Amino acid sequence: MLDLDISLTQGSFTLQGSLRLDQPVSGVFGPSGSGKSTLLKVIAGLALPQQGSITLAGEVLFEARKGIHLPPHRRRIGLVFQDSQLFPHLSVRNNLLYGFKLLPAARRYFRLEQILDLLEIGHLLDSRPHHLSGGEKQRVALGRTLLAAPRLLLLDEPLASLDEGLKRQILPFLRRVRDEIRIPMIYVSHAINEILYLTPQLVVIDKGRILGQGAFVEVIRQQSIVNLARSLGLENVLQVEVLRHDPEMGYTVVQYDHHELHLSLSTLPVGANTFISLRAIDVALARQRITDITIQNQVPGIITQLLHTTDRVLVDVDIGAPIQAEVTRKAVQDLRLRVGDGVYCLFKARAWNYLGTG
Amino acid sequence: MVSPFQLTPEEASALWLSIKVGLWCTVIIAGPGVLMGWLLARTRFTGKALIDGLIHLPLVLPPVVPGYILLLLLGKQGVIGKWLYEVWGITLVFTWKGAVIASALMAFPLMVRAVSLSMSLVEPRLEAAARTLGAGPWRVFLTITLPLAMPGIMTGLILAFARSLGEFGATVTFVGNVAGETRTLPLAIYTYTQIPGADGTALRLVVLSLLLALGALLVSEIAARRVGRLLGR
Repeated sequence: MLDLDISLTQGSFTLQGSLRLDQPVSGVFGPSGSGKSTLLKVIAGLALPQQGSITLAGEVLFEARKGIHLPPHRRRIGLVFQDSQLFPHLSVRNNLLYGFKLLPAARRYFRLEQILDLLEIGHLLDSRPHHLSGGEKQRVALGRTLLAAPRLLLLDEPLASLDEGLKRQILPFLRRVRDEIRIPMIYVSHAINEILYLTPQLVVIDKGRILGQGAFVEVIRQQSIVNLARSLGLENVLQVEVLRHDPEMGYTVVQYDHHELHLSLSTLPVGANTFISLRAIDVALARQRITDITIQNQVPGIITQLLHTTDRVLVDVDIGAPIQAEVTRKAVQDLRLRVGDGVYCLFKARAWNYLGTG
Repeated sequence: MVSPFQLTPEEASALWLSIKVGLWCTVIIAGPGVLMGWLLARTRFTGKALIDGLIHLPLVLPPVVPGYILLLLLGKQGVIGKWLYEVWGITLVFTWKGAVIASALMAFPLMVRAVSLSMSLVEPRLEAAARTLGAGPWRVFLTITLPLAMPGIMTGLILAFARSLGEFGATVTFVGNVAGETRTLPLAIYTYTQIPGADGTALRLVVLSLLLALGALLVSEIAARRVGRLLGR
């Protein structure tokens, strides 16, 4: 369990907030420059806050008032950098063993062979880092950190410098680390998909402030996060279960609450839980069910709020989950929409995105 | 008739003295040069600009000036020289050891510059990664910073050696021009150009200096390439 309450100022940037992380895997999500990496540096001891305290599993790592600052090499907190930071003058083998060799035998968790198997890097042992591909470098960096037997593993955008194809190759390894190694992990990313692939538990951070913390669906609907969610197209998020696929017709049926939704065809197994998202501008509203229309989903609900802005209206509808539609003022006038009215929410199957599928 | 490739005892003495002084100079500034280069590249402290300036002074002063300052400080009547002589029985003036001190002073800024430049190019996140893997500051310095800065350190050492081979002004001011003791190649060349009819000898020593300098540059180039390959550059 990690408890943190800090304030750090570097130039014009301030990172401030408190956190309590008690999940096996926590995601830290926020846009670039929001302070995510700085947060990890603070936890690892590489950046020194001016105020506050950090406690890991009851041990005080940092406490400004008492002048306690456990240096990074005594924290046993592993950090995997975005661009691997392998030591260029050492072979892959010596990179992997760098931290391992510094550990007394009793403190070692893994044997080298275990890590080589887990990350499939055995064939690279005698190579030099500059001969490795980006994905191989990241796996070696991960292995090097694991072999140093950290009690907490920090991952700082480990996939950010890889292309889409490579990301898909590395993500399963991270899941393997999560499931087989069971070291608590904090995964930092600006890509919500990567985080949700590993955990639904996340911390949202922006402009150096911690905006919210908890399970994804609840956090993303918090008032403090509305603007960030909107900028990312995450105004509407549902957690659904895959019911069945129809490859021939090209759709997948998922269940939410007691509603069935038709979405674009997915490769997820039947019974899987997943998150789906939809932009507010992709939701249409109707007074009654409409026949002869290509839109596949018409879900009844009750209007809970109408928020007028200068050029549009945000209509919140309760369909068993909050759904937000973004429409023009004219549309609201034409339909005479009022709070408490029953409406149908129309969703195109293909407008929904699957989140966290890697 | 002597073979043109045969060195006279005076020539041989000047050559070996130059090499001896050059090597000792390199040896004694290696440690302090690396440390100072690291301090300038990686730390912040009050008075850093002053220290930086003082170290670099010999590069911009006429060499006679540092030589004279050495004479004032380390001469037999000098503040430090007196103490060295009375307590330890060490004499520096008019000895080859003094020549080493003089060329070390002149070569030090070159060494420090090369080291601090190469250390400032070592990616700080590599050092941070080593810290999180359990290495203390000293171990990080020895296993990460130092090996990665090695090309610059070697360049610095070769530059220092070459500077020492060419040292004239500070040396002649501090330790004079004593045959067999402080008469290094440049001093010998100067001496022979002053003797009527010794132009031939001076020219032979000039060629010798050229070869020595070229050799040092070649060694440095080969070493730099090796290290470069090792680091994958």
